[in-house]
Amino acid sequence: MANSIMASSSKPLIFLSSNQPTRLPQIPKFSKLPQIPKPISSSSDLRTKTLSFSSATVKSLALIAAFAPPSMAEAMEKAQLFDFNLTLPIIVVEFLFLMFALDKVYYSPLGNFMDQRDASIKEKLASVKDTSAEVKELDDKAAAIMRASRAEIAAALNKMKKETQVEVEEKLAEGRKKLEVELKEALVSLEKQKEETIKALDSQIASLSEDIVKKVLPS
Amino acid sequence: MNVLSCSINTLIKEGLYEISGVEVGQHFYWQIGGFQVHAQVLITSWVVIAILLGSAVLAVRNPQTIPTDGQNFFEFVLEFIRDVSQTQIGEEYGPWVPFIGTLFLFIFVSNWSGALLPWKIIQLPQGELAAPTNDINTTVALALLTSVAYFYAGLSKKGLGYFSKYIQPTPILLPINILEDFTKPLSLSFRLFGNILADELVVVVLVSLVPLVVPIPVMFLGLFTSGIQALIFATLAAAYIGESMEGHH
Repeated sequence: MANSIMASSSKPLIFLSSNQPTRLPQIPKFSKLPQIPKPISSSSDLRTKTLSFSSATVKSLALIAAFAPPSMAEAMEKAQLFDFNLTLPIIVVEFLFLMFALDKVYYSPLGNFMDQRDASIKEKLASVKDTSAEVKELDDKAAAIMRASRAEIAAALNKMKKETQVEVEEKLAEGRKKLEVELKEALVSLEKQKEETIKALDSQIASLSEDIVKKVLPS
Repeated sequence: MNVLSCSINTLIKEGLYEISGVEVGQHFYWQIGGFQVHAQVLITSWVVIAILLGSAVLAVRNPQTIPTDGQNFFEFVLEFIRDVSQTQIGEEYGPWVPFIGTLFLFIFVSNWSGALLPWKIIQLPQGELAAPTNDINTTVALALLTSVAYFYAGLSKKGLGYFSKYIQPTPILLPINILEDFTKPLSLSFRLFGNILADELVVVVLVSLVPLVVPIPVMFLGLFTSGIQALIFATLAAAYIGESMEGHH
């Protein structure tokens, strides 16, 4: 805790430890900082105003303070990097406000909305799986209907085939009968003609034989 | 910190400090009831808060089942935050989403505002406007909130049995376990503070040296670092909360 960091702006950021008092007078051009030598004597009451860090940070800061050139100290006096003040609690309050406001405006409403949407999408997906079973049933029904209709059609075809066959056979039989009758008629008429021609020939034979006899036998 | 001091050191040695007009650690003070505050930090943090709240209200005002551009982006961000919280905290991440999310968004928008918003247009009597995370007060405030958050998480989950974790593997580790409670906020705050300040310093110094083209890659690197730092802070905060909530086996 020999080295500390100042909290207020009007005072130097870093003052050197009390066991190195000889270094301070070497710092040139302190026209801006007349109060620099004083803190060494009154460092005990200044320490009460300072903020302290853990040992690692203090060591590194002590290194910077011990080995930095005088101009560095001057710059650090201007530049207060570790200047803790009321800004810190104000930022805490602002952050908490932002957290609650964003929760009201953003995280909760949009999160709930997204969760609901996820749930509804999952439901819809599940219902889609159910209809696939229905589709299967319908498919089966359709196949059954197709089979039944095919059987019907086959039966009808067979019937038609039989009917037409019977008709065809009937017609064939008729045709055969007609043919047979015509054949018989034709045969009968042929026989008649045959007999007629034979008769005609017989009569001609008699005349011919008479002619032959007349020619052969000289009269 | 050594890097920072070295950069300042070399700057002073080369006499660039005055030429370039780099202002390190200069603050614009307001007096509030006898206390001093850094006005530039407060002003920029208000702007950051306004940006966050305004864009969130605009985008989430009327959520649609099929998200449009703004809502889509905010849903993506929320999913990202939930993912980070869930991986670090576990199944009971729900109540911590606002804290982790606000840490991430506030730091991210702060860092990027420091790099992207033309703060330099607004002249202050002293100091200059920059990212709020550029100031140690902001980072320490966030780190302390993280500490409070993980203590609250542990105590509300396990009651006083939470303190048994200090002697968890063996009581010999008690000092180290206690030390951890100090190193956690310290490392959190100084990591963020150092990265953002160093990034802005590098950009300012490069711009003062070569005002054209050369600083652009460094600026992009700065944007990248800013995002990474916001993610690291939020992830570590979530990890600490998850660590203090998990049961010891």
